[in-house]
Amino acid sequence: MTFLATGKDIIRKEAWDKVTGRAHYNTDISSPDLMHGVIVTSTCAHGKIKSWDYVEASQMPGVKAILTGDRYPMLTGPIIEDHPPLATGKVRYYGEPIALVVAHSEAEAAAAACKIKIQYEILPTVDNPSAAMSSEAPLVHEYLDQYQHVIPEVYPQANSNVVHKVQIRKGDMNQGWQQSEVIVEASYSQPQADHIAMETRSARAEILPDGDIIIHSSSQSPFAIREFVSQHFGVDLGKVVVHVPLVGGGYGGKAPVQLEYLAVMASQAVGGRPVLITNTREQDISASPSKLSLEAKIKLGASQDGILKAGEYTFMVGTGAYADSGPRMTGSMAMNCTGPYNLDNVWCDAYCVYTNHTYATAFRGFGHSSFTFAVERTMDKLAAALNMDPLELRRKNIIKPGATSPTQVKLTLSNLGDVAQCLDKVEKLINWNEGTRFELDNNRVRAKGLGCLWKTSHSPTDAIAAAIVSFNSDGSMNLNVGAVEIGPATKTTLAQILAEKMQVDINKVHVAMEVNTRTSPHHWKTVASMSIFMVGRAVEEAANDAIRQILSLAAMAMMCSPEDLSLGQEQVYVKDDPGIYIDLASIVHGYKYPNGNTVGSQVIGRGTYVMPHLSPLDQETGQGKPGPYWTPGAQAVEIELNMADFTYKILRAATVLDAGKVINPKSAKGVVMGGMSMGLGLGSREYFIYDQQQALQNTSLRTYKVLRIGEEPEYLVDWVETPNANAPLGARGIGEHGIVAIHAALANALSRAAQVELDQLPILPELIWQKIEEKKA
Amino acid sequence: MIPFDFEYYRPASIASAIDTFQQLDAAGKQPLYYGGGTEIISMGRMNNLKTGPVIDLKDLADCKVMEFQQDQLVIGSSVTLTQIHEANLFPLLAQAGARIADHTIQNKITLGGNLCGTIIYKEAVLPLLLSDSLVSIAGPGGERTIPINSIFKERMQLDKGEFVVQIKTDKKYLSYPYVHVKQTKQDKINYPLVTICAMSIGGGIRAAFSGVCDFPFRSTAMESELNNHALTLEERIDKAIVLTPGPIPTNLEGSAEYRKFIMKGLLNSIINRLEGSNVSNA
Repeated sequence: MTFLATGKDIIRKEAWDKVTGRAHYNTDISSPDLMHGVIVTSTCAHGKIKSWDYVEASQMPGVKAILTGDRYPMLTGPIIEDHPPLATGKVRYYGEPIALVVAHSEAEAAAAACKIKIQYEILPTVDNPSAAMSSEAPLVHEYLDQYQHVIPEVYPQANSNVVHKVQIRKGDMNQGWQQSEVIVEASYSQPQADHIAMETRSARAEILPDGDIIIHSSSQSPFAIREFVSQHFGVDLGKVVVHVPLVGGGYGGKAPVQLEYLAVMASQAVGGRPVLITNTREQDISASPSKLSLEAKIKLGASQDGILKAGEYTFMVGTGAYADSGPRMTGSMAMNCTGPYNLDNVWCDAYCVYTNHTYATAFRGFGHSSFTFAVERTMDKLAAALNMDPLELRRKNIIKPGATSPTQVKLTLSNLGDVAQCLDKVEKLINWNEGTRFELDNNRVRAKGLGCLWKTSHSPTDAIAAAIVSFNSDGSMNLNVGAVEIGPATKTTLAQILAEKMQVDINKVHVAMEVNTRTSPHHWKTVASMSIFMVGRAVEEAANDAIRQILSLAAMAMMCSPEDLSLGQEQVYVKDDPGIYIDLASIVHGYKYPNGNTVGSQVIGRGTYVMPHLSPLDQETGQGKPGPYWTPGAQAVEIELNMADFTYKILRAATVLDAGKVINPKSAKGVVMGGMSMGLGLGSREYFIYDQQQALQNTSLRTYKVLRIGEEPEYLVDWVETPNANAPLGARGIGEHGIVAIHAALANALSRAAQVELDQLPILPELIWQKIEEKKA
Repeated sequence: MIPFDFEYYRPASIASAIDTFQQLDAAGKQPLYYGGGTEIISMGRMNNLKTGPVIDLKDLADCKVMEFQQDQLVIGSSVTLTQIHEANLFPLLAQAGARIADHTIQNKITLGGNLCGTIIYKEAVLPLLLSDSLVSIAGPGGERTIPINSIFKERMQLDKGEFVVQIKTDKKYLSYPYVHVKQTKQDKINYPLVTICAMSIGGGIRAAFSGVCDFPFRSTAMESELNNHALTLEERIDKAIVLTPGPIPTNLEGSAEYRKFIMKGLLNSIINRLEGSNVSNA
């Protein structure tokens, strides 16, 4: 009789701590000798640093050090090393950290920071991706060709703002266009936006006399912090210890290393004393990285009966002032550029370009939400050109097992999932067939819109994960993994997998919430919706390892063979007669015979995982296998638009994902709802506003608006469960996916309602009014 | 974190408040009176404001009242927007005040603060401009009471050392039909694109506006056009809109053209509501 812990709504392990305010986040720990660093940021978007004046600042009470970039010329970056931790020589974005004040208290550091005066020689700015690509564009990075490449697969173009280019060349485009009886083409633009995690970023560093560098950070990448700090500060890897406690939201924004470098530099400047740097909300928005911007052009060709024949995609990805993971995101967008539709003939040019804006990093969806908006709007335009229902057009073209992806990965039911079923289910959820546009009284129009999605990860091919399970003398166990808990109940879900393998109650599995790089096993990064997949496989292997040890020891105690035994209800019992059993508690620290002799020792389960058969993308054709599987889905939105003033209400938002296996239904639903909320925010109100000088105008929550309680729609979530053969219990990652097509569905619904083409984000009432005025003219 | 030190005073009487102000001013210290302090905190932490000593008016008894005194509703300058909303003694003011910010901030924003602060919207002034409210003011020159329409011209025109003690409104205004509408860029909680408070008195409409210029206002010239029944409704509105006392701005909330479009729509619906209704409240 198997005890089930998966498929259950287990409340998260840290729930009570979080809801009572007792949970510990990075800035909740203080120590008597802690000092504080406050960043000074640039008010110029592009300029040479002419002079500093920090005489007054350095004389202010409590100030112990003032750091400027000229003394720290190191260049950092996870793909190409283009990024000094403090601006050196020139500034490249409004908000760029240019100095750091270290003082005894935050107030003293902040007071001194205000007194630092900097003179810039203003340079012309690069204002958007297409401007970046013009031959007359000013150069954001004059020495681009001299930067070190961390991975070989990055292709910057010297004397330009192009830091990377990805190409997809699949099939025969000439043939594809010849077969196309209807062609649609359109351009789209999407601005930068912010992660707005509830907890802003912070990092604390101290340097002990024995040479250890101890870092505490609110981060998704403790092991990357360790590696890069070791490299850039010339310290042995093992002497850098990174601690990450519970993290109050990351969404990709806490994947890069930024404040950590500054904290180490600050600690060095004050003799190794611990120094804490915490972003204000304004700094979190403007100084720390954001979501990328995108200008896209898509051309789709189809036969008269609606079968796609050719697709041409041009993406100009704005990565801001520094590349960070921009090149990898550009690759992600290219590799899935078609959306989950079958296309034999695909041509994509995706450029990652610098602009004079806050630099971009991973943001929920890793570029997928950006290109999917363009793809799904184009599908609706194609449906209109074909005079076909937009859902039917998608249904006809849904990609199926046997086909190939844009990077020519052969698709199977296991690695793709069942997109068609997702579409069928969302059709029912939103009641598509009752109609998609209704004119109501009082100038109101109710309409529906749709979008399909797919996403796979784009990690380094050698990304690894592991799990260690140790046992307590009462038979309960401790789970130690390198994945960080950033909010989707990752640790609890992993505990469910372990509890079920070990056949114990979930309360017998204790999970270490903190990650400590000296004691937790290595985990690539807590990103890409891959934690349950990778760490879950490692947990299963660790459980198997522990079970082997337990049964072997129990066999000695019970004088039989391990194959005669089974685990259940915190016991090991004889399969043939469950009345003969021994408690786990008597085994897990060794077994003591009645005469006192003890055999065996404590059980420690180890498991590891690396994804098989991954390969980088070929530079010419894009061919390669970047990720282990896709998670596909379909989304729909229903709105009510007021045609008198163009305000609108989002009534319902629906998502169906092929999750493979839903391990914790309520938390899975919550994660998808959260993704939808972020996507609807991007669709309706979230964007960076720049003035003519490229100074960021909306750096606080009064001016950068997010969806509030009371403004949310009714969320509908359903699942398809087509197992992935490599995944723990068949479960595909679902963390990011709620965001990917929901704003496209919103735009499709509003375009249908207003009967204008809404191809830029966010869709404000004024934008709808403007398009309608343009149409009248 | 507000990155500078400043002195804080909390006088217990009007006389002591004025006295404190004068002493600090004479010492060249640039004192400020304040109510909720939300502007000081918001701007101070961003280093967009450097303040000298602050004088907290929240303990002054006269500034805390909210009650009828004979035929007038008297509201002290330290009463918060949330308190005004919850008491609902002046429904139009309660509604206008309840849409200024989010609930947490409205718990701190005082009536006096919204009238005398630096924000260009000051939506709480609109119902007062319509109701011919009186402002009682204390200062070095003594106490005076003056109609708000005389002293509020783009902002409260106080002399140095003066502060608002109370707002007094004849209670007959509290039962005239009224409308409050606020249109924002997208979110319910935001600065206005256009906020309009309107009141119907004896068949004529009064209207006050925020967001339409860089200051809140009531314009009798505009009201003349809006009440000119010789014209069609559309003509009345079109003629009124060109009479705004300042240019219609383009800013982060929206463009001037869109604002005009919104204003027309709102005035249309307001006038229909007020002219369509009887003597009962809207």
